Amino acid sequence: MSAAPLPYASPPSVDTLYAEHHSWLRTWLQRRLGNAADAADMAHEAFLRLIMKPAPRGFHSPLEARAYLRSMAQGMCINLWRRREIEQAWLDTLSAQPQDVAPSAERQAIVLEALHEIATLLQGLSAKAAQAFLMSTICGMTASEVGSELGVSSRMVRKYVAQAMLRCMQAHAAQTTAELRTSRAA
Amino acid sequence: MPATSSIDSVQPDSRHEEDGPSHEAMEQAAHWYALLISGEADATDRARWQTWLAANAQHRHAWTYVEAVSQRVLAPLQDTPDPTLLASKVHDVHTRERSRRRVLAGLGAVAGLGLIGWTGWTRTPIVGVLAAWTADYRSGIGDIREIKLADGSRIWLNAGSALNADMSANLRKLTLIAGEVLVSTAHGDARPFIVGTPQGQLRALGTRFTVRREPEQTFLAVYEGAVEIRTAASDTTTVIAAGKQTRFSPDRIADATEADPAREAWSRGDLVAWDLSLAAVVQELNRYYTGHIALDPAVAQRRVFGTFPLRDVDGALAMLADVASLQVRKPLPWWISISSRDATPSPAQSR
Repeated sequence: MSAAPLPYASPPSVDTLYAEHHSWLRTWLQRRLGNAADAADMAHEAFLRLIMKPAPRGFHSPLEARAYLRSMAQGMCINLWRRREIEQAWLDTLSAQPQDVAPSAERQAIVLEALHEIATLLQGLSAKAAQAFLMSTICGMTASEVGSELGVSSRMVRKYVAQAMLRCMQAHAAQTTAELRTSRAA
Repeated sequence: MPATSSIDSVQPDSRHEEDGPSHEAMEQAAHWYALLISGEADATDRARWQTWLAANAQHRHAWTYVEAVSQRVLAPLQDTPDPTLLASKVHDVHTRERSRRRVLAGLGAVAGLGLIGWTGWTRTPIVGVLAAWTADYRSGIGDIREIKLADGSRIWLNAGSALNADMSANLRKLTLIAGEVLVSTAHGDARPFIVGTPQGQLRALGTRFTVRREPEQTFLAVYEGAVEIRTAASDTTTVIAAGKQTRFSPDRIADATEADPAREAWSRGDLVAWDLSLAAVVQELNRYYTGHIALDPAVAQRRVFGTFPLRDVDGALAMLADVASLQVRKPLPWWISISSRDATPSPAQSR
């Protein structure tokens, strides 16, 4: 593989990109993920994404292509880690409970789905806003209780909760609209 | 989208669905939600929210998203064995993800900084409603629990309530953390029987009584024997006799009034309404229902008479619909909407 840092004469095809960067990407992912199978899956998925949604301005050089692939793969790793950590968080919570209070398998699936969803929805929120939202909603604490934990006013807590709720609502609205469009197109 | 005055215009499959509510309506809905769950909303706020909801279809549409998020994402997480632990773990995941993304964005973030506040939370003694999750006894939404205490006393925990019980050599003490408890003390035990709330302590004098935590005060109704109230801030004591009820704050005890015997009917799973407003009945039923019950303000003040099963909210609402000539609809599985059956209610059923 000779990835010489020469500019591309014309926009490279996906085939070219694959030939030049796939094995580099897989090696890079394996170092980060510490697992060959995960790395192979993810490298494959990265190229699938590149086909579905090409880089907006194309690539002018192999270096640019690698930088793009690397940041895309980095984002995918973060998502994967998040999903695994969420699953682990749920398992840890369960294992802290006596056996007889363990929820049913269906219930667990619902909880896990909700956990993945909330973790995705919280993305981009500040740590305090996310914390205020979790404490207010999941733990059912009042705004003044949350405020004294976080060292902010209860007014600020309400602002955080509203901010996080709005984000969740918008995500839900976008999802509903997309589903409606799909069902109408079908 | 025209503003309409009836709850009936909420249709999840309305043709406006694709447009979605305006950003403004979504923002307002999010702010209402934040206020309503803050523990700081009073009756006026809730009435204003109802007015906002009734004002136009965009508002109600925006609110359906609040409902959707609460029911699909938040409710399953609340209803877990240890929501506090789960929430703290979700926050850990969020914090780690944030620092990873910050590194990704090349901002050179100091990883772990965001953890400080959280550690503070997990180590601080639990407070308020949070304590309910670790209480000795607690009951979920729509769940009335009868408990026999070690001394032979019997207590009934109303829906959504929690308490700690501490039986020591010289004292029997219950601490009501949330909701309402009906106590029937055992006879022949010399140890004092105390129920504590943030507003004060109640000492049972051989008795059967109800204690309920309200936002800023404690409600007490005595059915048998008597109960002595000692308020938290002023140390004032007052004995409330059987057949009386009162409310007290840390420094003041209201004048006692006649106790409503129907108030303890919940311990048998009944809601006895004797000339109650529909709004009050719905508020009570809401304690037993995990979803949202929307009541058209036009019918909120109708008077209701009857006994309704608390363990079967759908059944109770069907009975209500029957006796009060109401239309009960479920636009969404978690949303019950109650409005007038006809545009002009007959005089016999409204006042």
